[in-house]
Amino acid sequence: MNRRLLSLVTALAVAVAILLVAQQPAAGQAVWARDTPKLPMATTWVAVKAKLPPYTPPRTPDGVPDLQGHWGGAGGDNNSYLEDHEYVDRTTPAQESFVSDPPDGKVPYTPWALQKRMEILRGLARGWPGEDGTRLHVSPGSFCLVYMPVFSFDEQEIVQKPGSVIMLSDESYRVIPTDGRPALRQNGRFWLGVSRGRWEGDTLVVEVTSLNGKGWFDSTGQFYSENTRMIERWRLADANTIDYEVTIEDPTIYTRPWKMNFPKRRVGTAPPGPRGVSIASSLPRLESDPYEKEMWERGCFEGNGPTVAGVRSLGYKWFSGVTPPK
Amino acid sequence: MMRSSVRVVVGAVAIGLLLPASGVGQTSTYTPPRTRDGQPDLQGVWQVLNTAAWDLEDHGASLGVPAGRGVVEGGAIPYRPEALAKKRENFANRATLDPETKCFLPGVPRITYMPFPFQIVQQADKVSFLYEYLHAVRYVYTNGNPHPEGPIEWWMGDSRGRWEGNTLVVDVIHFNDLTWFDRAGNHHSAALHVVERYTPTGPDHLLYEVTIEDPEVFTRPWKISMPLYRRQERDIELYEYPCNADLLEQEWNNPNSTFFEKK
Repeated sequence: MNRRLLSLVTALAVAVAILLVAQQPAAGQAVWARDTPKLPMATTWVAVKAKLPPYTPPRTPDGVPDLQGHWGGAGGDNNSYLEDHEYVDRTTPAQESFVSDPPDGKVPYTPWALQKRMEILRGLARGWPGEDGTRLHVSPGSFCLVYMPVFSFDEQEIVQKPGSVIMLSDESYRVIPTDGRPALRQNGRFWLGVSRGRWEGDTLVVEVTSLNGKGWFDSTGQFYSENTRMIERWRLADANTIDYEVTIEDPTIYTRPWKMNFPKRRVGTAPPGPRGVSIASSLPRLESDPYEKEMWERGCFEGNGPTVAGVRSLGYKWFSGVTPPK
Repeated sequence: MMRSSVRVVVGAVAIGLLLPASGVGQTSTYTPPRTRDGQPDLQGVWQVLNTAAWDLEDHGASLGVPAGRGVVEGGAIPYRPEALAKKRENFANRATLDPETKCFLPGVPRITYMPFPFQIVQQADKVSFLYEYLHAVRYVYTNGNPHPEGPIEWWMGDSRGRWEGNTLVVDVIHFNDLTWFDRAGNHHSAALHVVERYTPTGPDHLLYEVTIEDPEVFTRPWKISMPLYRRQERDIELYEYPCNADLLEQEWNNPNSTFFEKK
């Protein structure tokens, strides 16, 4: 996507939020034809990476694997729907599940949590089959809030410094200490949690705790809780691909730890495949734009007022996280 | 595109000529370490220790506001008469009018002297400012690109950096007219032009100097300065002040909220 044009249209991010209520696409949001082949995610990637030759990553001057550079997001349907699904509407084309384990691609909720998750799904009011019209919750992503693990699912630049790995995006950042300092143990709760990194061979392992449990994995109510621990693994599969895997642990709402897995491609090197049509990126692009690699202000929350007011007036409730039974 | 960029550059040079002394600041004999890219190393977690976020000028204490000496060189901000009237009106209604109470990005330089830490990260092409407040990020590009063509109205403006000796000089334009400089209602227009100077004066201190120019609001450019302190805690790190999320949740759940009408 042409970042300059995206940034210049300040209300653009607002439009994305509208999609979570209605299925009208807007500028910046990719739309997909009904006959788009099912988009690849975990299943395809697990098969592809099994055939890749071993890769030894370059090292930084500090002697750790060098993951630096600009990395693309998960791609596909822009994290609309986490599990395997057929075509739902033009912003939610058929796509494989993000979930690589368990092998059926389903989030292994406990019975209580599955009931909660289905309640949110039925209450989305996106015009999908099976909805009950209750307008229960909309995705926290509608309000320009940044949280885990969606930060990692999106595009970011990785910068490495002695003792830390820094991830920069056009609206936020993570600083991940790798110096062995302890996590927070008490009452602190954060949208992005608290991250602690370490190197295991060629892999950056990041444990994320102190999450506030208010974020979703997708836009359809796949949730976690305050008790959730996320263990991310960032590893170069080849010079231009990060094999990103995240394990989700939370015995209060899942029956077992589960994993998501997909490739993140170095920006500018993504292999060919089915693409959605985005209104913004279909605008004419400047030749050799000197600003192409710059990250420009989005001001998403600041420009989002009318959308937020509109969603609230429809009766949706704020999602404040779940309280699992004892 | 080119024409507009040239105009911006010429404007910046002209201000430099008008203000031969204002941007120079205190000379420092301290020699900072260098990054691997050869830049003076300003990296780390920094924070102010002053009351500028409440009022850039001298002020007494009031409920929730500590008293403090102003940080404006010469004492008073040189408003045009009509702009001073607006400042007084802002001050009277600051509890509801200050855009910071809506958790919007607070603009530059205000975000620097909010009572929250921020972290500086340097690379060859940019100096990144990571702020705990709103988990906001600001990229100061040092890649030689001029300001992009306007008009652009960004909450934090467009920042272009260069090194003058050990000082990081940041030229910022392309603001909107919606942010304030402090809780006291000090304001500006979209014509605001900010020049920040970050000078290391010791291993744990930066001198932060800012020249503020806005001919629609002020009779002349003016300057603020203050020290920035390196946070000394062994495991210092940035957490989150998710002002926007907390405010939205609170107001969403309040059936009598007027917040959504005002936005």
